[in-house]
Amino acid sequence: MIGDSLAGRAIRIYIPLLLLLVVTLFPFYWMAVTSFKSASELFDFSVSPLWVRDPTLAWYQHLLTQTNFPRWALNTAIVAIVSTLISLFCSVLAGYSLARLRYRGADSIGWGIFVTYLVPPTLLFLPLTFVIRELHLFNNLWALILTYPTFLIPFCTWMLMGFFKGIPHELEEAALVDGATRIQAMLRIAIPLAVPGILAAALFAFTLSWNEFLYALIFMNDSLVKTIPVGVTQELIHGDEFFWGELMAAALLGSVPVAVLYSFFVDYFVAGMTAGAVKG
Amino acid sequence: MPKARKKAKSGWSRRKFLQTAGVAVATMAFPEILISCGPQTSTTPTATIPKPRKGASIRLLQWTSFVARADTEFKRQAAEWGDANGVTVAIETVTGDQLQPKTAAAVEANSGPDIIQMQYAWPHLYTNSCVDLTNDVNILISKLGKPDPVNEAYCKVDGVWRAMPYTIVPNAWSYRTDYFTQAGVSAFPTTWDELTTAAGKLKSTGKPISQTDGHAYGDSLTMWNPVLWGFGGKEVNADGKTVAINSQETRNAIKWAQGAVKAGFVVHPEWLDPDNNQAYHADRISGTLNGASIYIREKVEFHHYTDVTNNAPMPAGPKGTFAMNLIFNHAVMKWSPDVETARAMLLYLMDKTQYMKWTTIAAGYNAGPFDAFHNDPVFAADPKLKAFQDVVAPGKWPGWPALPSKKTAQSQTQFIVADMFAKALANGGTGDIEAAVSAAETSLKAIFERP
Amino acid sequence: MGTATRADAVPVWHQRRVRIYDREAPLGYLLLLPTLIVLGIFLLYPFLFGIWLSITDSELGNVGNFIGLGNYRFEFRNTDGVFYEALVNTFLYTGVTTVFKLGLGLVMALLLNQVFPFRRFVRAALLLPYIIPTVLSYEAWRWMFDPTFSVINWLLVNTHLMHYPGPNWLGVPANAMAALMIVNVWRGTPFYAIAFLAGMQVIPVDLYEAARVDGASRRQQFTNITIPLLRPVLLVVLLLSTILTFADFQGPFVLTNGAPYNSTQLLSIWAYQWGIPGGAIGLGAAISLVLFPLLTLVVAIVLFMLRRPE
Repeated sequence: MIGDSLAGRAIRIYIPLLLLLVVTLFPFYWMAVTSFKSASELFDFSVSPLWVRDPTLAWYQHLLTQTNFPRWALNTAIVAIVSTLISLFCSVLAGYSLARLRYRGADSIGWGIFVTYLVPPTLLFLPLTFVIRELHLFNNLWALILTYPTFLIPFCTWMLMGFFKGIPHELEEAALVDGATRIQAMLRIAIPLAVPGILAAALFAFTLSWNEFLYALIFMNDSLVKTIPVGVTQELIHGDEFFWGELMAAALLGSVPVAVLYSFFVDYFVAGMTAGAVKG
Repeated sequence: MPKARKKAKSGWSRRKFLQTAGVAVATMAFPEILISCGPQTSTTPTATIPKPRKGASIRLLQWTSFVARADTEFKRQAAEWGDANGVTVAIETVTGDQLQPKTAAAVEANSGPDIIQMQYAWPHLYTNSCVDLTNDVNILISKLGKPDPVNEAYCKVDGVWRAMPYTIVPNAWSYRTDYFTQAGVSAFPTTWDELTTAAGKLKSTGKPISQTDGHAYGDSLTMWNPVLWGFGGKEVNADGKTVAINSQETRNAIKWAQGAVKAGFVVHPEWLDPDNNQAYHADRISGTLNGASIYIREKVEFHHYTDVTNNAPMPAGPKGTFAMNLIFNHAVMKWSPDVETARAMLLYLMDKTQYMKWTTIAAGYNAGPFDAFHNDPVFAADPKLKAFQDVVAPGKWPGWPALPSKKTAQSQTQFIVADMFAKALANGGTGDIEAAVSAAETSLKAIFERP
Repeated sequence: MGTATRADAVPVWHQRRVRIYDREAPLGYLLLLPTLIVLGIFLLYPFLFGIWLSITDSELGNVGNFIGLGNYRFEFRNTDGVFYEALVNTFLYTGVTTVFKLGLGLVMALLLNQVFPFRRFVRAALLLPYIIPTVLSYEAWRWMFDPTFSVINWLLVNTHLMHYPGPNWLGVPANAMAALMIVNVWRGTPFYAIAFLAGMQVIPVDLYEAARVDGASRRQQFTNITIPLLRPVLLVVLLLSTILTFADFQGPFVLTNGAPYNSTQLLSIWAYQWGIPGGAIGLGAAISLVLFPLLTLVVAIVLFMLRRPE
């Protein structure tokens, strides 16, 4: 087969990678270019749309100083972090319980937790508004922090079930034979081994929160407490006129920093691989 | 709220009750009568003026205006009133797509903004959540004259005003005079058949007249409903029950559209509301139907085609000239703890002085929904805006000639009329007319025959 | 060793605690408690309410009457002429995108697992489509697909791959469906990739070592070690992604909203149309839940396969 030579690596790794990168990043290139185009260039398609002739930082400047974008970014981050932590705590424990322990009702509960997923947010938001009203949480970030786990927990629980299932039994069995309690086995063996899975689940949870739109739209009313997707669309889309330069600037600012952050995490859980081991 | 209901009842007199009941009965049978006769309750000595409560807090939810400065002015006026009366006012502006679920959630949870801007037939959808504003609308009528019939049709449910008329966003044709001249078209077409001819001539310039026939919240309705009506077609009969789309008139309308498309009128099933704006600003099309936003943005921001842009009213069909404009009204919601304060604020904002300040800043995008606003100087200030004034009178609503209702609202949100045209206009205007009409009939029957 | 058991060597109070925490059921439920509390407060009522709505004729703001399966009958008879189209489109949309996301996700995971320069940049870059808020990315894609402005078409035409003006992405039914799928795959592949990547980390390296020593080729290692051991993760990811794609609303709503003439109508959008702007939430709920029986069955099957002792 193809060996480890440079040509081999090129075919096996670099070329597919390049293709993937181009397809993945092209829209972002487009967004970046658009966010730097001055107003007159935005709708001028008589020339190539791929370059900026007259770059301007006006959109970024306007976005950061004249809208509440920094505040929205902060809100989105707070909500995402806290709801992720809450959900991870619940799901790690629940995932372990459902994946590893045998007891009556485990199947039904696991099934039940997941079945709630089948009622989509586009239907749930109506009764949830009632719940939020009863708890007086309108316009409060806690409304989001407490409702996001409703779709994060089932998701993460199932992910973690999958990861816990992938850890060989023998390791925990050995510990149990040595006299450790179930909890000790869980804390000292299963969870550390499942860290890549937990990190992955954290990334997903964070992303789902970051991306969430409907609940944030319904429960948040004042500009200062809105999240990025809601605030941006409301202030940069006026009737039938879109402010593309700023929209694209917001899209980039709302994703690139997060991606950079993620890459460090991915680094961490892939770093476990020793060099020289076969990688498929 | 008991307090609000009591206030409303104290405005009733037996005479007024009988008058209104009589009008209500007449309205249900003959909507045109109501419209042509005007309101029966023009001066009521017993109308009470709502007083704001100091320390109250009012929240208003509405659509982000295309004209950002108009929203700023609106918020300024509300804040000014709030300061003068010791009331905290918060105004939230969202996109049209977002206003819908927020309103739905508020109605369902029985809690939310004190005032919500009603789009289209929402007062008919959310009747039980909207406070009876008859008293206040009567005050406005006595000061400002007759309300616009379309606003009235939307706001009045079973003879009771469930919302206060707020504004009309007129839709007219913005077009490029330079391309028209180049193509040999001296003036914008005044009939649909003339439009076909003009479209053919403009095709040769490479900049066609274009419009959406897709799922655009505003532009699909403002175009295809008037076309249907112009040829005598209708979705349902005036009784609001019998589906009447399957008719020769409907087919005539579709045939006209097919002819226009074959001649060079370009329709885009993928266009949403912003797309024709963008195409115009990018010098891709020579004419399109829209609110004043295209012209205003050229005039105020882009300065590319201001001098070569003009606006024209709706062309006429064999059965008359029809238009459809975007209509917004304000409803006070029954869960509000300060209904009277909310009503007082709305009355202030609709006061002639305040309102005209707002329409002036809106630069022609908005027209007032009462007689007193009919000769708004903002339209006279720029002669090119005249068309937007002209389209107000022939304006109707989706579902006309039936009165607005839950059912017409459903038909409208499912884009049944636009889809019918879109199907027939597919493949260069050679779609199957019978299939299109039949599909529209099925969908309409599903709505109107549902219990 | 002697006959003394470990239990004899510890004080009594500790003995009892050890025994409780070693029985699986109490521990099992204890670990589930936080989850059950959170979901119980915030999800139980809305979930039951949603189900109840679907069997009533409720309208927004008006509590409706129980009508049994009336809403479902209305839809399954295709009374509104759109339901079947939406149903078929939803299955097509979910099926095709899942296949692509699975394949590309696996490839991406294998690539991310490698060592190469600028690793960190590449990882960040490949994750971007997943991270960017859906609404904003779909608006950008709209503009990229709009034939008046499409930069994609501009490229295709100027590199002479196609004639002017290039494909009408969103205006022709088949193209519009393809466009929806393309964007969904673009957005969803990183999810599969990260999940697989994480799953691969847990596979003991020695297994690969042993196989290599035995002379197994890369491909054999992949099919005999990687794939089988990824199975639990694969199952879960497939299930989650399928359900999320069936319910995908925000993206398609922004991109086409069902146009052209309902050819890209999906169950999620159609349910929303009836329920929210249309005010008939009973009917909207029924459409949202139409796949509920089928999917609960699928969930049960996957759960069975997951919990089966190895």
